[in-house]
Amino acid sequence: MTQLFKKLSLKKTLAISVIALVGVSLSGCSPADQDLQDSTLTIYSGRNENLVQQVIDDFTAETGIAVEVRYAGGAELAAQILEEGQNSPADIFFSQDAGALGSLSKAGLLKAIPQELLDLVPSTYSAQDGNWVGISGRIRVLNYNPEKVTELPNSVFDLAGPQWQGRIGIAPTNASFQSFVTAMRVIEGEEKTLDWLKAMKTNAVLFEKNGAILEAVETGVVDAGLINHYYWYAKGKEVGMENMKSRITQFKDQDVGNLINVAGVGMVNDSASAKRFVEYLLSQSAQEYFASQTSEYPLIAGVPQVISLPALEEVPAPKIDLSDLDSLSETLDLIREAGLI
Amino acid sequence: MRRPPFLVVALSLGATLFASLPIGYLAIRFIEGLDKALDEVFRLRTLELLGNTGLLVLSVSISAFVIGFSQAWLTTRSNIRFASVFAVLAALPLAIPSYVMALGYISVFPTFSGFFASWLVLTLATSPYVFLAVTASLVRVDTAGEEVARSLGFGRLSVLRKITWPQVAPAATASVLLVALYTLSEFGAIAILRYDTFTRAIFNAYRGSFDRTAAAALAIVLLLITLLVIWLERRYRGANISSSRALGKRVRIDLGNWSWLALPILALVAALGVGLPIVSLIIWSILGGSSINWDQLLEALWGSFSLAGLAGVIIGIFATAIAFWAFRYRTKLGAFIETLSWATHALPAIVVGLALVFFGANITPWIYQTTWLLLIGYLILFLPNALAAISSPVARVPRSLEDLSQSLGTPANRTLFKIVLPIAMPGIIAGMALVSLTVLKELPATLLLRPTEVDTLATRLWTATETLSYSQAAPYAMLLIMLAGLPALALNAQARRAISEVREK
Repeated sequence: MTQLFKKLSLKKTLAISVIALVGVSLSGCSPADQDLQDSTLTIYSGRNENLVQQVIDDFTAETGIAVEVRYAGGAELAAQILEEGQNSPADIFFSQDAGALGSLSKAGLLKAIPQELLDLVPSTYSAQDGNWVGISGRIRVLNYNPEKVTELPNSVFDLAGPQWQGRIGIAPTNASFQSFVTAMRVIEGEEKTLDWLKAMKTNAVLFEKNGAILEAVETGVVDAGLINHYYWYAKGKEVGMENMKSRITQFKDQDVGNLINVAGVGMVNDSASAKRFVEYLLSQSAQEYFASQTSEYPLIAGVPQVISLPALEEVPAPKIDLSDLDSLSETLDLIREAGLI
Repeated sequence: MRRPPFLVVALSLGATLFASLPIGYLAIRFIEGLDKALDEVFRLRTLELLGNTGLLVLSVSISAFVIGFSQAWLTTRSNIRFASVFAVLAALPLAIPSYVMALGYISVFPTFSGFFASWLVLTLATSPYVFLAVTASLVRVDTAGEEVARSLGFGRLSVLRKITWPQVAPAATASVLLVALYTLSEFGAIAILRYDTFTRAIFNAYRGSFDRTAAAALAIVLLLITLLVIWLERRYRGANISSSRALGKRVRIDLGNWSWLALPILALVAALGVGLPIVSLIIWSILGGSSINWDQLLEALWGSFSLAGLAGVIIGIFATAIAFWAFRYRTKLGAFIETLSWATHALPAIVVGLALVFFGANITPWIYQTTWLLLIGYLILFLPNALAAISSPVARVPRSLEDLSQSLGTPANRTLFKIVLPIAMPGIIAGMALVSLTVLKELPATLLLRPTEVDTLATRLWTATETLSYSQAAPYAMLLIMLAGLPALALNAQARRAISEVREK
């Protein structure tokens, strides 16, 4: 085996690479890009390609507007747009959560969404200042292993009890967890939230992502976890619903653990095609796509949900305006103080 | 006083300019929010991060050194069986991105996390740097000196310490420095294995709160730690010893009964560093039935291949220029430039990426989101990888050859290109290969700086693992490891070629 690799000399490998040089410079820097920019819609998407490319392709098919999509982590893209400032090539920022959109809106980098588009969605799911609009809804759920959890907790605060020590998975660096803690802070107060977080320091096993928590509950590493509902459906689609070992459920009585959040869009540039894209995402067919393909809640009237959870207005969710969830740095201070990040 | 050629100076200064961009960016962000930045630095958490980071860097550096050095010595100088097989296995983890290794471990042992997990994965991922550097120098060691010392009654260990080590030391310490800085800047594996270091805190400052001031404050502390680590390495580096290739007949040291200890240990390290990650990849691809999108796969393969090749050649050229200036002319400025290019190596890729986003979008929009800005990003991040490989070969070319050439009337600069360059060429090519395979594995800066809609194997792998579609991720991970495996194996073959040359004599 080693003999073989001796023959594959470094010089040859590099010679091939140099040939590649020409190819890259051609593909990367054609001046024609500049001309195309005017007619091409550039979308920065913090939502995964696997989840949204289809709906973007449908948009192009319907409108004939060419689209370039830049996929990366939502927070990284928000940071990127913040650094680009007024010179951002982005027309649209499609975000996984409201927090990232809020940070751009605060920095004055988002243009107002036309009122007729804002009117399509219940006002609680869009920015108060009208700078971004919710596209699809998701709720926080308790993911649990029915063999290990026989008595379901009534409230997320029950998880602070000693009987939960070492049994619950959370993702303290994850944006949706942080939004939920912000809601807890706003509704229940700093002190109660800090106590809960400190209890989590003892009781919880920490993960980086929602998906990793679900994986851990499925494999029996932890007994339960706090996640967004659609992770469970996505996993069910991959392995078959009948093969899912875990279940999802909600807490009782408008518990803060049942927070409703949204994925949304903001316009960095209010060109006609950018508006057209937002309009498309709020159309019947795009909303149906999110309901069936990503197992989320559609937000416009007249599109039914596909998942078996209660309808969005029947979810025992806390009464809170999503725009009140922008005080993230105070939340992070609490999470840090509790020693979770 | 000899003066370096214009080209050497221009390239070196160019690289320096690029390397100082992230530092300038951090300074802007830091001063912009000075009060907040100072608050961020002077808090208990900074101390905690300092402790965590220091512990990990120190322990990974030590263990990677011990493992890499032992592998190199055993496979080049002892009579251990299957030496060349073990050499290949020792080099291969270089081809596996550390986040893939971490995911592999997590999928086999779901509770694997914390300090021990991070230490193990980073040790396995970085020991090949030491292994390759030490192998390359060990085969060049002048064995005649060792035999003289042996005949004077010195034991094997003291020969290793007094005769062999000084000849290996410069390359070995440079590789340990690479390991230390790699550990400082690592994010992917650390995040998956949940150990809190400066780099993770910096990423989380961006992710959690979009707080660029806090991130910059932490990054500046990280930069200071890096300077300290570099200073330590400079202190203990030792001088490069000029020598032509050793021609003494190599004696393979008989391990005797020790081989019963050495063999299982080598096998265990190989199983942990190569076996387990690859087995878990195979499990991923068996478990999920998702079909492969060949168009995307080929496009990503081409993206990875061309970017890595291009970056390898370009960064290798810059590094050669810097090594020429720093080691053939020995001026203070040359040495300063060499140190500066190391300094930014431990900055998290997201900081380098955002710095270039900031300057690129606002000052040079015509190269923003083109391949060129991405290549500048790679240059800032990976120049030291090339320098580590190229410095020793450039420094080792005997001065006497240059003097001879000049006494025959060849101008100094022509001598540099006609005499020094060809002799150092194998090392330069090795540096290029090392950069190429590192670029293949890079993710955070690639995501930020790539031209829109250009994909690499690493970005495709990211797309798949973000949604935990491991079956979709598996072919990209496999292909990435195979592609990065080529330079890794070629580097190993090149380092060991001298062994067979000597034996044939």
